[in-house]
Parts: sequence; structure tokens; C-alpha cells
Amino acid sequence: MTELYTASGSKVHAHKADIFCRDETRVDWHSKALWALREKRDRAAGSLPEWEQLRLLGSQLKLHTLSHLAQYLEQFEQQCLSNGIKVHWASDAQQHNEIVHGILAKHKVKKLVKSKSMLTEECHMNPYLERHGIEVVDTDLGERIIQLANMPPSHIVVPAIHMKKEEVGELFHQQLGTKAGESDPLYLTRAARAHLREKFLTADAAMTGVNMAIADQGAIVVCTNEGNADMGANLPKLQLHSMGIDKVVPDMDSVGVLLRTLARNATGQPITTYSSFYRGPQEGGEMHVIIVDNGRTEMMKDKILAESLKCIRCGGCLNTCPVYRRSGGYSYNYTIPGPIGIAVGAKHDDTNSIPWACTLCGSCTYVCPTMVPLDKIIAHHRRLKAEAKRLPYGKGGYMPLVGRFMANETLMNTSMSAARLALRVLPGSLLKPFSGAWGKYRELPVAPESSFASWYNKNRSR
Amino acid sequence: MKIALFIPCLVNQMMPEVAIATLTLLEKLGHQVIFPKGQTCCGQPMTNSGCFDEAKNTTLKLLNAFKGVDCDAIVCPAASCLVAAKENFHEFDGSQEAQEVISKLYELTEFLHDIAPIKAFARPVAAKISMQMSCHGIRMLNLATPTEQMGKQRFNKVEAVLGNIAGLEIVYPARIDECCGFGGTFAVDEGAVSAKMGKDKAQAHAATGAKYVVGFDPSCLLHLDGMIRRQKLPIETRHIAQIINDAL
Repeated sequence: MTELYTASGSKVHAHKADIFCRDETRVDWHSKALWALREKRDRAAGSLPEWEQLRLLGSQLKLHTLSHLAQYLEQFEQQCLSNGIKVHWASDAQQHNEIVHGILAKHKVKKLVKSKSMLTEECHMNPYLERHGIEVVDTDLGERIIQLANMPPSHIVVPAIHMKKEEVGELFHQQLGTKAGESDPLYLTRAARAHLREKFLTADAAMTGVNMAIADQGAIVVCTNEGNADMGANLPKLQLHSMGIDKVVPDMDSVGVLLRTLARNATGQPITTYSSFYRGPQEGGEMHVIIVDNGRTEMMKDKILAESLKCIRCGGCLNTCPVYRRSGGYSYNYTIPGPIGIAVGAKHDDTNSIPWACTLCGSCTYVCPTMVPLDKIIAHHRRLKAEAKRLPYGKGGYMPLVGRFMANETLMNTSMSAARLALRVLPGSLLKPFSGAWGKYRELPVAPESSFASWYNKNRSR
Repeated sequence: MKIALFIPCLVNQMMPEVAIATLTLLEKLGHQVIFPKGQTCCGQPMTNSGCFDEAKNTTLKLLNAFKGVDCDAIVCPAASCLVAAKENFHEFDGSQEAQEVISKLYELTEFLHDIAPIKAFARPVAAKISMQMSCHGIRMLNLATPTEQMGKQRFNKVEAVLGNIAGLEIVYPARIDECCGFGGTFAVDEGAVSAKMGKDKAQAHAATGAKYVVGFDPSCLLHLDGMIRRQKLPIETRHIAQIINDAL
């Protein structure tokens, strides 16, 4: 869209964030829009006296399922098969895309309508299918906006949150022929609806993501606000659903717990407009479920990282994250941004910088409806990067020096004494060029005459 | 009680007034206060960067300063350093002796609320203060219920301790417990975002019309002080120890 979002050059988080921060009015707008979601979440969560109990239950049921994963996945497969659903297993993104393409090619599908799925983003499925001559139409309004703008999602629940309505108006004017200069949300939504209706009616197949897969039912749950998953799944005869192995839950009671927290934590709604349960193909149709690993089993080997698989993708951690709100979804060098994006994406991050896009404030961990210990996971990623000698921002070079400096009392006392003197006697104009990122944005500290230890020796030591 | 002071390096070197106020107020409350020698850094700058090997020496040096010290409690006027010290002592030394040190560690507010509450204040402090509810104190030391957490059982130890000071008006900034953006090395690694967070927080405090931003975490206060003076906002930072000391 603008240079702001497609800035080339370094992919390092701090660099991307620095570019995002140059337009302060936009940062304020972005931060406020997302904070409004956090406030709505607080009101919705606060309206349930049992909220904290639901979080605990959500966490426990996900941990239970993850620790009996093979059992529940096999049960899910069996139940699906007996419901007439075809089940496929994909060990990675490539295999997932090949399976999907295989199914579509067999049915000579030219046009696929798709509702929200972060997994297909993770697998980069759209470009894969497009290379094979299949048109993929994202049907969630936000997803459609960014697809028309040729951008990836900047948020996992509100993917076009970074775009202002005027920008959407301009995009629709160019791509859908709406009136120039028109940015009324109702007008634009109606235009998108008419445009998508035509796509639904002419599609050869439909695809959705999966919010939950119910092991003992052989059914999947898809939550949308626009009914687009249902429009897709009910029109063409062929329906596909892709899910990560972490999406399985034991039974309907588990679904009951997670459905109560999912929408409340995401947008502050009591529940999404549509919570659709699919448990078999249409008459004369075919229903396929593709179960994808793509690194999840590997993640389960690390006890701390494994907890990130409890995530139900509500996006609540993004909305509360003070860094995400001020650096934008495109600064993370991974498909999923924000705290959960760092948790599941750090190992793919070739800049090795995203685990440091965090102050370890812990807000995300307290917001999370399944109690994923995000701050601990992020800190753990830092340790893993350090152990692999992949530290960003020159830390690999200076940290050993800091370690030695901090452990050496004499060295610390003499140099800090010199630093205090410099801060006291030298003019700011002389100090600023040497004060780095601290002095670029803040005034340097007012230095005291002496350390507390010296004061104590003079005033208290006997 | 016999109290050993744990004064983190930042406070020792750059904010001695916070340590002096802590020492003085504890003495005024009738405690016997000592300052064990050999304290350096808790290792947080290194461990928060994932560099545990680099943190080991300084952490153990700090731990050794407290091992075998005859005291009832070890009190620290910096929540974040206290949390890091607890975690890092545990990480690098599993001995019984280390565990004894860890079990005596208290952040100042925590100590004045849970262990030795102040019976009465001697003097009023006529000021409106805006509370800086720093992250680690709230979300890791349970000094107050964080805003993300729901339910009726809410507490705020900071307000409970300061609330009895006559003349003191306690207010809170918008987005009460949103991080100020300091985050240790984050402040320099991610300068732009850190500064924007700090600017927003400083402005939120100033917008309350309070005279002081008061907090329990000196590092956040140092960062906010730099932001406040850069933007020439009509507010100053104070540590809770300074406010309490003025009231005793």
C-alpha cells in the first residue's frame, strides 16, 4: 500500500519498528484501535464471574489433549471416517499444499473460495495454488481487503487493522469500481458483499480453517462473524478444512469452554455471529479434513515451547501488547505477529530479532484465555538463540563484557564514578553524540555526586 | 527486625537517594538495618537477553554477599531486580544456603505490606501522585491485581501502604498498568518503540495533573524521568521510599 508497509532492506524487528514509528499519528491511531479491542475484551471477560475459572479450564483441557494427542487425533480420524469425511495427514507445509492441490486438481477446480485460516497463511498456500492455475478468493472481508491490496495479514483476527477506511475506499475504487473518494464503511461493505456473492456462486470448491476439531464427534468448528465459511461450505459440493494437530479437543464440553472465551477475548463479543459445526459432506458432495504438523511435534519436545500449542488464536495477546500496537504486524518477520507470533515463529526468524521485540511485561500471559505463558516462552527463545550463538543487536559481542563488568566491583565503581562525573560536568551537547539510543529519545539521567555505597561508608559505617 | 538492604547496581550508582530513603524509613520504623558489602548486579541485563553464562558470575557474587548474613529479611527497593535476583539465584545455586537467602528476599512494598506493616505515619504529605504500576512488580510479585485479571478479589498493596498517609491524593494514569517501555536493553535495542511507549506513559501521568509519578521500580522511573524532561512535562518522578520517608 504505502512505503510504510513494504519497506525493503533489513527485516530486523527494531528496524521495521523504527520505520513504523516515524508516522506518529498513525502509530497513535493503530495503538488506539487495538487498545479499544482490549477494552472491549475487559468488559466482556469481566461480565463473567467465572472468567478466571474458564481460563484455567481452557488451559487444563488443552494441556490434557496435547499430552494425549495421538489418542485424540486417531479418535478424531475414526469418527470423521464414520461420518463420511476424508482425512489427510500432512507432515509439513509442502505436503499440505500438495494434498490440497491434489484434491482440487482431481475435481478440476478453477476457483476456490476460502474463509479465514492462519494455517494456510503459514503454509503459503494461496501463491502455491495460484502458481498451479487455481484462483483463490479470500472471503472474510478483512482478508479480502488485504488480498486485493496484495498484502499478508497484519493481525490474526483483524487482518486489515492497519488500513484506514479511506485507504480501503481507494483500494475498492481501483479494484471493485466503487465511487472515487467514498469511504463510508456501510457502502464499502455492501460493495464487497455483492462482489463476494458472485464469487461464492461461481466457486468450484470451498476451504476453511478450523477453530476446533472434536475428537469424539468427528466434527469441526469454524467461527466467523460474516457467515462466509457457511456460504462457501454450503454452495459448492467440495469442501476442504485445514487444521493444525493442536486444534483437536476431546468433546463438546471442551468446545463449550473454549467458545465462551474465544470471541470474548478476541473482540469482546459474547460469541461470534456464526459458530458452525461441520460433521459430514453435503448430499452428493465431498468433505476433506487435512491435519497438519508443520513443526508442531518438534515444538512439543521442549516443555516450555509446547505450551504455545494451547493457543486458540483469539489475538488477545496482540491487542494488549504495547510493542505490537506500536510496531505493527509487518515488523515481526513471521506470518503471525505479536506475542504468539514470537512464540511460534522465533525458530523461523532468520533475523533472530523477534524474541527481543518484547519488554517481558507479561500482559499477554494474563490476557491469554488458555494461560499460555507467553512471556516465559519469549524469554526462553532468547536463551535458545543465545545458546545457538544467534544473538541480534551485537549482544553476542558486548554481553560477555557486560557480564565481566557487572561482576567486577572495583571496575564498576571506578567507571560509574567517572560516568557520574562526566554527566555532571560535561555539557549535554558533548555527551549526546556518545549516548546512543538512550540519548536519542530521552534526556540523560541527572547524576548524583556519589554512589549509595560511598554515602553509607561516610554516614553509617562504624 | 534485622534487615539487610539489597541495593541493585542502578540504584547504588545512579539513584542513591532511593537507597538512602529506604534505609532511613526502615530505621525510623525501628528496624536494625545493615548493608552487606560486595553487592553488584542481579544478572538481569544478561539473563533477559538469554545470556545465562554471562550472568553467572555477577549473580553468584550478589548471592554470596547475602549468604550467612545474620538478618530476618533482605529488602530491595526495586521490584524488577528483586524478581531477577530470586530467579537467578535459584538458576545458579541449588544449595540450602541459597534457598535461605531466597526465602528472605522482599521488595520494599511487599515487606511493608505483608511482613511489617506501618502502624502510623507521623507527617502528612500534601501532594497528588500518579502511580506507576510497573509490570514485574504487578505481574510477577503480585503487588496488585493486574487489569487483565478478572474477578472480585482485587488488591493493591502499593495503595494499601501509601493510602494511610494524610494529605496524599493517589491517582492513576490512563491504561493503568500498560508497560512504560523501559525493558532493560529493550530501551536501546528497540529505541523507537521504547521511546514511544515511554512518551505515551509520561503524557498519561502528566495528564492526571499530579505533582509526582510515584513507583516502586527505579529503572522504569529513570526511563520516565528521561522522557518527562525531554518533553518538558510538568511532573517529576519519585520512588515510594521517598514518599514514605517524608511521611515518617
